[in-house]
Amino acid sequence: MSGIDLIGVSKSYAGSDRRAVDDVSLSIRPGEIVTLLGPSGCGKTTTLRLIAGFERPDSGSVGLGARVVADSATWVPAEQRGVGMVFQEHALFPHLTVVRNIGFNLRRGDAAKRVAQMLELVGLTGLGDRMPHELSGGQQQRVALARALAHDPVVVLLDEPFSSLDADLRLQMRAEVRRILKDAGATAVVVSHDQHDALAISDTVVVMRDGRIEQVGTPREIYQFPHTRFVAEFVGASNVLHGVMGATGDRVDTALGEIACAHTHGLAGGTNVLLSVRPDSFEIDEDGPVQGTVLSEIYAGTNTDVTMRATTANGQSLDLLIHAHPERALRVGDTIRVRVLPDFVAVIEE
Amino acid sequence: MISAVHTLWARAWRGRPPQGWLLLVSLATAILMAAPVLYVGVRALAEDAERWTVLLDERIPALLWNTVSLAAVVGLSAGVLGLSLAWLVARTDLPWRQTLRWLVAIPLAVPPYVGAMTYVVVFGPRGWVSDIVGSTPIDMYSFAGAAFVLSIFTYPYVFLVAGSAVGRMGRAHEDVARSLGLGRFAVLRRVTLPLLRPATGAGIVLVVLYVLSDFGAVALLRYSTLTSAIYYQMGGFDTGAAAILSVVLIALTLVVLGVEASTRRRARFYESSGAAQSPRRIELGRLRWPAFIYVATVFLFAGLMPLMVLGYWTAQGLLIDGLDPRFLQFALNTLQAAGLAAAVAMFLAVPVVYLRSRHASVPAAVIERLAHAGYALPGVIVALGVIFFSLRLAPVVYGTALMLSIAYVIRFLPQAMQSASASLELVSPRIDEAARVAGLRPLGVIVKVISRLIAPGVLAGGALVFVSSAKELPATLLLRPAGFDTLAIRVWVEASDGAYHLAAPPALVMVLLSLLPLKWMLDRFREA
Repeated sequence: MSGIDLIGVSKSYAGSDRRAVDDVSLSIRPGEIVTLLGPSGCGKTTTLRLIAGFERPDSGSVGLGARVVADSATWVPAEQRGVGMVFQEHALFPHLTVVRNIGFNLRRGDAAKRVAQMLELVGLTGLGDRMPHELSGGQQQRVALARALAHDPVVVLLDEPFSSLDADLRLQMRAEVRRILKDAGATAVVVSHDQHDALAISDTVVVMRDGRIEQVGTPREIYQFPHTRFVAEFVGASNVLHGVMGATGDRVDTALGEIACAHTHGLAGGTNVLLSVRPDSFEIDEDGPVQGTVLSEIYAGTNTDVTMRATTANGQSLDLLIHAHPERALRVGDTIRVRVLPDFVAVIEE
Repeated sequence: MISAVHTLWARAWRGRPPQGWLLLVSLATAILMAAPVLYVGVRALAEDAERWTVLLDERIPALLWNTVSLAAVVGLSAGVLGLSLAWLVARTDLPWRQTLRWLVAIPLAVPPYVGAMTYVVVFGPRGWVSDIVGSTPIDMYSFAGAAFVLSIFTYPYVFLVAGSAVGRMGRAHEDVARSLGLGRFAVLRRVTLPLLRPATGAGIVLVVLYVLSDFGAVALLRYSTLTSAIYYQMGGFDTGAAAILSVVLIALTLVVLGVEASTRRRARFYESSGAAQSPRRIELGRLRWPAFIYVATVFLFAGLMPLMVLGYWTAQGLLIDGLDPRFLQFALNTLQAAGLAAAVAMFLAVPVVYLRSRHASVPAAVIERLAHAGYALPGVIVALGVIFFSLRLAPVVYGTALMLSIAYVIRFLPQAMQSASASLELVSPRIDEAARVAGLRPLGVIVKVISRLIAPGVLAGGALVFVSSAKELPATLLLRPAGFDTLAIRVWVEASDGAYHLAAPPALVMVLLSLLPLKWMLDRFREA
C-alpha cells in the first residue's frame, strides 16, 4: 500500500467558472484511513475522482506512492493506476456471481485462491456462488470491498459507502469496513457527507468547503477543537460566542463570563476572537455561573437536547444549545444554572 | 359458513376485496378480450384428427421453419441495429446526435407493409433501380428481401427499449471496471454491453412478436409465414385449417412471451439504484465520421427513402388523377372504426387497471392477464376468433363495421392499459384514501378523482390505440363489411395491383398520423 500526495491540485468543470477543487494539497500516509467530509458541492467527490484518474487536474500534481500519476506533463488513466473503488450503490456487476465479481479482471495464477482469501476477509465464505441480487445490502457492500481489495490496490477509494445502508446496518458496517481495511493494511480515502461516518471510520478527517480544505485532523481534534466556524457547525452542533482573549492566553472573556480554553492558537491577550463551545461542554450545576431558563427540551435517549435562554453579564439574553444528562428531567420554563467545562472549547476563525 | 366464505373471499383479495361493480366490469372486459381467442383453440381441437395429421405432415413444418428463421434473423439484425444506434446516439460524441436520435426513430411510424411497398417500388423487378441499372442488387421477393425490410422497419423497438436502458445507466459500473484495469473497449465489451443485454432482449422480443404477427409486408414480398398462411386459408373459407394453424402460431407466441417474462424478471436486477450520475460521453476519435455515415445510412434506407417514395408517388397521383374522390370516405371510415375502438379501449382500460393496482392480488392479476389475451397475437387470429364468436353468439354483429372495432379493441386494449397503468402508478393510493375520508364513495373516487388525475395517460393510450387501429391490416381485410374501405385497405389493394400513385396518398396520411404518438413515445422512453 502506498501513500497519496496531492500538491496544489485544482479542477474546474466545463461550463462552470467556479473551481470544483481549488488548490488542494494533502498528504496521506500508507495504511491511513482518511475521510473527505463536507456538504454536497464541496469538492470531496471530485478530489476522489482526481485520485482515481477519472478526472484530470487543471493544475497541480497527484502522486500515488513514489509515482506521479498526474501533473502538467504526466497522465496515467484510471485503468493503469491500480486503485480500488467502492461506490455508494456498490455497483456489483449484476450478471456475474460473487466469485466472478471479486475475481473480475484478476489476472494472476492464484486468482481462485485470492478470491477465497477475500471472501474470508469480508466474512462471506460460502456465498461465492450467489448472484448480487440474492445478497443483502451489507453483503453487497462486503463484496464490493473484496473486489476492490483483491487486486492489491495501491489505495482504496470509497464514495459514500454507507449512504445506501439503513441505520442499524450502517453502525455495524462502519466498524466492519474499518476492520477489513485495517486487516488488509489498505490506504483508504472515504468520501462522506455524514459526520458520524467520518468520525467513526477515519484515522484522519479532512473537512472540505467550496473546493478547499477547511481543516485536517484526527476525529477527536476535529470535533473537540474545530478551527473554523464552518467546521464547528458542520461537524456536530456548536455555540459560537464572541469574546476577547485574556491576558494569560488560556482564558477568553465572553458574555457568559470568563471561559477556560486550552486551544487558542497562541493568540495574544486582548485579541477579539470567536469561541466554539460544544453543547457537551456545559454541565448543569446549581452553583454554575450562568443562569437561564429552559426554552425547549428534546429527549434523545443518550442525552437531552436543551435550548436555554441565558442572561449575559450585560443583561442581554443568549440562546445556548446544551446536552444535559438524560436522567435529569427538565421542563420548559425551569430555571437552571450551568458551568462551562474546558474540554470542548476552541477559539475559531470566522 | 357464510362468514367462512367471507374470510376466504377477503383472503383471496389480500384483505381488499373490490366493489362488486368494479369486479363485474373488469371481469366482463377480461372475458370479452380472452373468449374469442380461446374459442379459436376450442375450434381447432374440435377438428378431425385427420386434418391435423395432414397439416402437421404437409404444411406446418415448412411454414414453421419459414416463420422461425425469419423471426430469428430479423430479431438478430434489428437487435444489432437498434442497440448500436441507441448507444451511439446516447453515449458518444456522434455529430448531430440530437437530430439523429429523432430521425432514426422515424421508421416506427412507417407500417412495414407501407415500407415493403416502397422497397418494391425502388428495388422490385420493375422498380427504379432495375429501370436505371438493368438489374437489382437484392431480390425483394425472397427470404432476404423480407428479412431486410422487416429489420429496418422494426429496429426502432430495440432502439427505444435499449435506448432507455442506456439513458438510465449510471457511471459507477464503468468506473469500477476501469479502476480494475479495463481499457475503454474492454469496458464496453465486458461491462456496458452485458448490462444492456436484458433491455436489448426485451426489444428483440417485441420485434420477434411483430414478425410473427406481420401479414402485410411478407405478403407483399410474397414470402410465406404461418400468419400469411392463416390469412389465405380464411380467404378460402377453410376456417378449420386456419384454426389449426392459429393454434401452432399461438403456441409459438406463448414461447416467445415466456422468454420475455423471464428476461423481464432478470432485468429488474440490472436496474441501478441510488442517485446514479450519468456516465461520461465517449469520444469516438477517428471513428466519429465513419459512425456518422453508418447512422446516416440507416436513416437513408429506413426513413428518408421510403418517405421520398411516398412523397413522389403522392405527387404523381395528385398530378395524374387529382385526389381520388372516394378518399374522404376512406378517411372517414378509418376515423369511425379506429375512433370507436380508441374510445371503448379508454373506457375499459380504467377499471381493469384500477383493480390491478388498488386491489393487487391473484384474482386481479388473472383478470389483467386475460384482458391482455390479444396482446402480441396476430391480427389474423383475433379476426378468426371474432368471426367464430359473433357467428355463434351475436349474429347481428357479424358483417358490420362494429366487428372491426371489436377486433381492434381486443388487439390493442393492452396499449391503453399500459399507458393508463403508468399514470396510475404515479398516483399514490393515499390520494384514494384522502378522497374516501373526504366523503366520496369508491365509484366517486374513480370518477371524480382518479380519472381526472390519470386522464393524460388514458388519452395518450387512446391515441396509441387509434393509430395502431388505423394502421391495422389483416384483421381489417378479413372483417370489414363489403365496400367498407379504410385507408389501410386502399394502400393494400392498390399496392397489390401496382397502382402506387393511388396507394401512396393514404399511406402518407398513415405515416404522418403515426408520427404524432412517436414524439410522445420517445419522451416516455427517455424518462423511463
